This record gives sequence, structure tokens and C-alpha cells, in this order.
Amino acid sequence: MTKEQLLQTFQNKFPEKIEEFALVGVDAAFKVDKDLIIKICYFAKETPELSFDLLACMTCIDYVERLELVYNLFSFKHRYKVAIKTSLPRDGELESVTPIWKAANWHEREIAELFGMTFKNHPDPRPILLPEDWEGGFPMRRDWEGKDFVRLPKK
Amino acid sequence: MSDYPKNSHDIPLITTEQVGSEEFIVNMGPQHPSTHGVCRLLLKMDGEVIVDAVPIVGYLHRALEKIAENRTYLQFIPYTDRIDYVTAMICNHGFCMAVEKLAGIQVPERAEYIRVIMDELNRIASHLIWLGTFALDLGAITPFLYCFREREKILDLFEMTCGQRMTFNYMRVGGVSRDLPEQFLPLAKEFVEYFKPRVDEYEYLLTQNPIFLGRTKGVGILPQNTAIDYSVTGPNLRATGLKWDIRKEEPYSIYNRFEFEIPTGENSDTWDRYLVRIQEMRQANRIVEQALSSIPEGEIKAKTPAVFKPPAGEAYMRIESSRGEMGFYIVSEGNTIPYRLKLRTASFSNLAVLPEIVRGWKIADLVAIFASLDVIMPDVDR
Repeated sequence: MTKEQLLQTFQNKFPEKIEEFALVGVDAAFKVDKDLIIKICYFAKETPELSFDLLACMTCIDYVERLELVYNLFSFKHRYKVAIKTSLPRDGELESVTPIWKAANWHEREIAELFGMTFKNHPDPRPILLPEDWEGGFPMRRDWEGKDFVRLPKK
Repeated sequence: MSDYPKNSHDIPLITTEQVGSEEFIVNMGPQHPSTHGVCRLLLKMDGEVIVDAVPIVGYLHRALEKIAENRTYLQFIPYTDRIDYVTAMICNHGFCMAVEKLAGIQVPERAEYIRVIMDELNRIASHLIWLGTFALDLGAITPFLYCFREREKILDLFEMTCGQRMTFNYMRVGGVSRDLPEQFLPLAKEFVEYFKPRVDEYEYLLTQNPIFLGRTKGVGILPQNTAIDYSVTGPNLRATGLKWDIRKEEPYSIYNRFEFEIPTGENSDTWDRYLVRIQEMRQANRIVEQALSSIPEGEIKAKTPAVFKPPAGEAYMRIESSRGEMGFYIVSEGNTIPYRLKLRTASFSNLAVLPEIVRGWKIADLVAIFASLDVIMPDVDR
């Protein structure tokens, strides 16, 4: 399937809710509403002509007024790569995709811990990377201030 | 004393129901030698059998992603060496390639050849470390010494090229930092010839060794659907029988010019994971041989401005590291500094699958299974 066909497949199922964005290195990339993410992920995995069985990567980007989450999916069967993006408020909640891909478990734990958002229905919402007695807030947020952390001036 | 059993056959078997048993927790690591770094495992045990395992990671968390938001693209290259210090060349390559794709930079041909040679030599070095420590964990000391003997020669080649043996900082956006020294090509060709029979030597020591077979064959089976569900990639996924290698299926750099095979396993056990990596060393050696014989003369670095600013945009590029898929998600706002850099490392997902495959095995098997996954902790924690 070409990029247009891939987008069209999603568009047919979720009309007027898909907005394309530019991402180098994937076949198609689009933004969706955050309430839709679990449905669209189920659709991406369970539809035979898509069958995105690998959650390659989960990325969270902080834009101070909002967070953006990117799911990089890959299908071994058809060799398609898509990226699905959604945005939510900083302390917002998002449905966990761990029931769809178990790989999301650790990725979501990492994102929740470093960015301070929560995943609903996550089976194991413990912190993962930071020390057990960490009280320094959410270090991956753009406006995070740490004791020894000095931000470079913007050029 | 008359009713005391005369020999061991007369002792009736005592089942756990009769004695009464309870599960207990064993803490393994973080400084346990078989965890290859600092991974802590909480094991729920029933006698000697593992009921559940919980990996606890983060001891090497250096917040490289945060550091990246505070460094220019060039300044971050040395940090990529520290993501996975055993295959630093491939980390260098992956990062530079993602930035090049974002900025639309064409890398000169000679630089691509040099990159492929370095990547594949590094892949061999990484698999050698893995093989040595894997055999050591199973109680065989000789392969460890053999592997480090060969790895030493590769490190000498690296040192000759860029002055470093582990963390190279060799590649640059648009090419590599310096050309190959004059003696490199003859010495590398010599190494390729030298290395071919060495793989047979390791196989002679291990592959059909009854003790080795007893410890690995049928142990720690990772079903293919579980592997995909947990995003396990690299040799661990190929050992499940799936023929998937980014170098072949989605050729980056100049991998489409070389002939090599993708070794796969059948049973997806510890032994298969061992065999896949052994064959991968042979294939990597083949690629190095072909690249050395066809490397062209020419430029080693594309012209990039002194103050390098890629255009605003996003890119996700992935590369086949010696452990699996290594991805870089870059968000640029058109500054000298990346707005966000996400490192997708293979070991992070490969370690997450561990609890699934160690259940029901004994602690001694856990050591073999853990070693066969080839997880490296700085790659998990970043």
C-alpha cells in the first residue's frame, strides 16, 4: 500500500479525525484525537490488511502547554511503517496500549515517570528508571529545574 | 537403626505436599557477575524453580535524552558512544544517519564504505564479548580467552583509525571524522582471513559439547508471537525463525551492495540464539571482506556548515545494531540543538521479555537464558 492508501484505510474507519503530519523515515504519519488512540491501535493491529504487530517505539515530546505521544508501528507481514501521534494536556490521562502490545508496558512506565502523565488501566504502574527515593519531579519536562542542571542559552 | 534405609533406592520420595513448602523471594544483583552490568532481578522461587522474575533497572540511567536537549548535534555524538559502549560505532552511525536524513545530506561513497566496515567489525567485536561471557557463565573459561584474543585485534584496528578502543566518537554528520590510515586496509584484510577459521574453533569448543548442549538445548524457549508482542528484535527474534534484518529488508547506508545471509533459528531456545550469533559473525566477516575489496577513493565527509542547523521537522530512523533495532526519534526546531531526542534501544525491549521465558526454569538456567539474550545495561537504562 502506498502512503495515500494507508491513510485512506484509517480514514475509512475513522472519518474526519485523521490529520497528516511530516515524519521522515516512515510510510505514513498522522495525528488523532487522544480518546481514539486505543481504538485506532486495536484497528491497526487486528485488521488483516494492516496487522501492525510490532510497537517499535513510543516517544513523548513536551511542548510545555501540551504533551505529544508518538507510536511507531511496524508490520512484519506487509512491511509498513506508520507513526500515530496524539496530544494531551501535561497532567492528562491516556488509555494504556499494553493490552495490545506488551512492549508498551515498559515504554509507558518510562513516559509516565519522566513526563508526569498517567496511563489508565496500566497493569504495572511502577516507576522504572529513576531512583526509588526520587523526589525531583519529572525530569524530562522542558521547564524542569535540577540542582546541577544548567540549560544552554537558545541560539 | 534397623529400620534405617540401606541405600538411597529405599528412601521413599517425599513430595512437596507432604513436607509443605512456601514461595520465597531471592534478590539477584545488581552486582551479580552474570547480570552483565547492574541489573537487579527479584526472583520468586518455589524451591529451586523460578515462579516469577521482576527485572529492576535504572542503575545506569544517565538521562542521555535530557543531555541531548542541551547539546548541539555534534556535541552529542560522543554521548551516543555511551548508549551501548560495546557497539559504539553502530550507535554513532545510527545517530548520524538520522540527522542526515532529517537534513537531507548525501554521504560520500567512501565514507559509507568506511562506516559499513566499522559497523561490521564492531558487530563481530560485540558478538565476541557476548560469546566469551556467555560461555564463561556456563562454566567454560577457554572460549572467553579466545574471544578476547580476536577482539583485541579488532580494537587495534579501531585504535589505529580513531585513537580509541571503546568509545570512538568517529562518525560525523555527513561522513566520518578522519580517513583510514595507510596500514588499515592490509591489516584489516589480514584480520578477515585470520578470523575465518577462528569461528570454527569456537564452534569446535562449544556447539556439540555435551555439557554445553545440556545447558542450552531446549532451555528458555521464546515463542515467536511473544517475541513480537514484546518488540524483541535482532538475533533473539531471528532465533525464533523470523527472517528479519533491517540491513537486508530496509537497506540503509550501502548494505544493498553486499551479499550476506540472514541466519535464523528453529526452536528459539538458548542454543539457537547462540547459533544465530555464531553465524552472524561469519556473515559480518563476509561483509567486511567485500567492503574492503571494493572501497573507492574519494571524499570522506560531505560539506556541512560550521554551525549545523537541520531544518525544522521530525525523523525516526532505525538501524540494525548487534542487539536489534536501534531507533533515533529526532524533533528539530531548526536550532543547533535538538528539541527532543528519543533513543529506542534494543536491550530495553529484549530485557522486558525475560520474565516470560524464565518461569519454570532454575536459577542456573536463568543465568544461561539471561546471557543468551545479550542484554547490555547501559543500553537499557540510557
